Amino acid sequence: MPNPLLDRAADLGGTLLNRLQGLKLPGVGTASVSDDPERAARRWRAVTVLCSPADVRVDDLPAPLVALGSLVEVRVTPAPGDKGTEIAARYRATPSDEELGRLRAALRASKQLLETGEVLRMDPRPHGERKQTPQGRLLDGVVANAKKEGVL
Amino acid sequence: MKAVTWTGINQLSVEDVPEPQILNDHDVILKVRRTTTCGSDLHLLSGYIPFMRAGDVIGHEFMGEVVEVGKAVRERKVGDRVVVASFVSCGNCWYCRQEMYSLCDNSNPNPGITEGLWGQSIGGCIGYSHAVGGYAGSHAEYVRVPYADVGSFVVPDGVSDDRALFASDAASTAFTGVDLGGVRPGDTVAVWGAGGVGQLAARISAIVGAAQVFVVDRLPERLEQARTHAGAETIDYTTTDVAAELRERTGGRGPDVCIEAVGMEAHAPGAHGVYDQVKQQLRLQTDRPTAVREAVMACRKGGSVFTLGVFASMVDKFPLGAIMNKGLTLRGAQVHGPRYIPRLLELMERDELVTEHLATHVMPLSEAPRGYELFKEKQDGCVRAVFTP
Ligand SMILES: NC(=O)c1ccc[n+]([C@@H]2O[C@H](COP(=O)([O-])OP(=O)(O)OC[C@H]3O[C@@H](n4cnc5c(N)ncnc54)[C@H](O)[C@@H]3O)[C@@H](O)[C@H]2O)c1
Ligand SMILES: [Zn+2]
Ligand SMILES: [Zn+2]
Repeated sequence: MPNPLLDRAADLGGTLLNRLQGLKLPGVGTASVSDDPERAARRWRAVTVLCSPADVRVDDLPAPLVALGSLVEVRVTPAPGDKGTEIAARYRATPSDEELGRLRAALRASKQLLETGEVLRMDPRPHGERKQTPQGRLLDGVVANAKKEGVL
Repeated sequence: MKAVTWTGINQLSVEDVPEPQILNDHDVILKVRRTTTCGSDLHLLSGYIPFMRAGDVIGHEFMGEVVEVGKAVRERKVGDRVVVASFVSCGNCWYCRQEMYSLCDNSNPNPGITEGLWGQSIGGCIGYSHAVGGYAGSHAEYVRVPYADVGSFVVPDGVSDDRALFASDAASTAFTGVDLGGVRPGDTVAVWGAGGVGQLAARISAIVGAAQVFVVDRLPERLEQARTHAGAETIDYTTTDVAAELRERTGGRGPDVCIEAVGMEAHAPGAHGVYDQVKQQLRLQTDRPTAVREAVMACRKGGSVFTLGVFASMVDKFPLGAIMNKGLTLRGAQVHGPRYIPRLLELMERDELVTEHLATHVMPLSEAPRGYELFKEKQDGCVRAVFTP
């Protein structure tokens, strides 16, 4: 049975996770300022993949990045030392939070595909009774957004 | 199948849950033969790691028999008796290639949570909350093991299930602390905490050549085990000033390497203990770093302090000045299982490392809630409760 209160809790969980990144918890008590929203949204987001730059071509990107189409520009550069290859991407126009989330998830999935050949799947997994409490639904909201959130 | 689930703060139950399935080509499914309580579970149970969902299957230290293999698995086959690393590692990212397996980039499907908390996410861990992946745990009849070629190890015939079990997490954690803490032949090592992890850190320190090993705790039966099985000298912090005792017994120097195996719920007598507990309950600090503080003060100049005990976020009143001025190295890590499990199994096969005495309470899975009660309250001499699904 739909329960609007519990759905609100789940939505709140997703929002809280987003705020957590904004709070810069690791930076509590540090000196640096926060980016203004426009600059934050337009930053290049990057993953480093342990492979040779020759294995990643901008015209032949992993499917999760291709799916974002021409909305994003992508840059592939060798990483220093033995670290592999940097894949960086950003939206051409200022993206919404939702779009940014899709980009983070796409970068992470692309890295997994290049390094391990598959994207990790989690469901279905064994679990007992999921009690429908507000705290429980809050965590459901956090988890549902955890792929798309983060400092990436 | 039957599985042990977390149902709320300090509440466990045994439920019927669906069996796990192969979801990725590198997975195997294991029929669990032994699975044990770990001190880390206590931090989950008590709600200090608030990323548990009612119904989550817990347990991350285990061994068993392979019953199904994914199509990309090369090294394991049905029927293999294996012990499995608690953290999940892909084997192919830069961190895995550097043997920093618990820092794997690809094994935590929920990176947003720990990136928010710590600035970077770490690898996933079986049965240890949604912050590290939300994998179903091993306190069950069957468990899914991802990237099985990397994280599972065939147990030699001469090593019993009861012994091999602890290579999964406690012994490999201990080895992580000894190795990355930099214990060298001739060193003096002090270990805080005489649980499974601390006792094995003491024993492995001796194996790699430490000349003198101390173990600090308050529980007499655990200190007795540390003397008998690790050959350690022991100190009861409730009756002795630990730093003074260590100075006296080390020619005034202090230990070269201090290994902390207590974690964020450290016990402390007196006003300081109350202070930490109240601050933690008010969420003004998330962790109680009692034993780490003591280790930092006791450590010799230029020595190293390694935190194996699990901490979640923020601590208060931390002696940073001692670290800087005494030239200490402070380091910590989650367990890099695959780096040490092969060596541990060799040591176990040669009887140089024995672990059976840790399994003070062996019981069927259906009695797990009672097992956790004994383990949490340290009742009846419980060091570890081991379940046989
Ligand atoms: N880093 C890792 O990958 C990893 C892996 C496994 C366990 N752990 C952590 O290691 C710690 C120990 O695990 P365990 O299974 O041995 O747990 P445990 O609960 O069996 O043992 C903890 C011991 O610490 C003692 N203790 C409490 N306060 C103390 C103090 N102030 N000084 C000295 N001793 C004190 C307790 O009496 C107890 O014997 C836990 O924090 C656990 O989360 C970390
Ligand atoms: Zn553990
Ligand atoms: Zn990896």
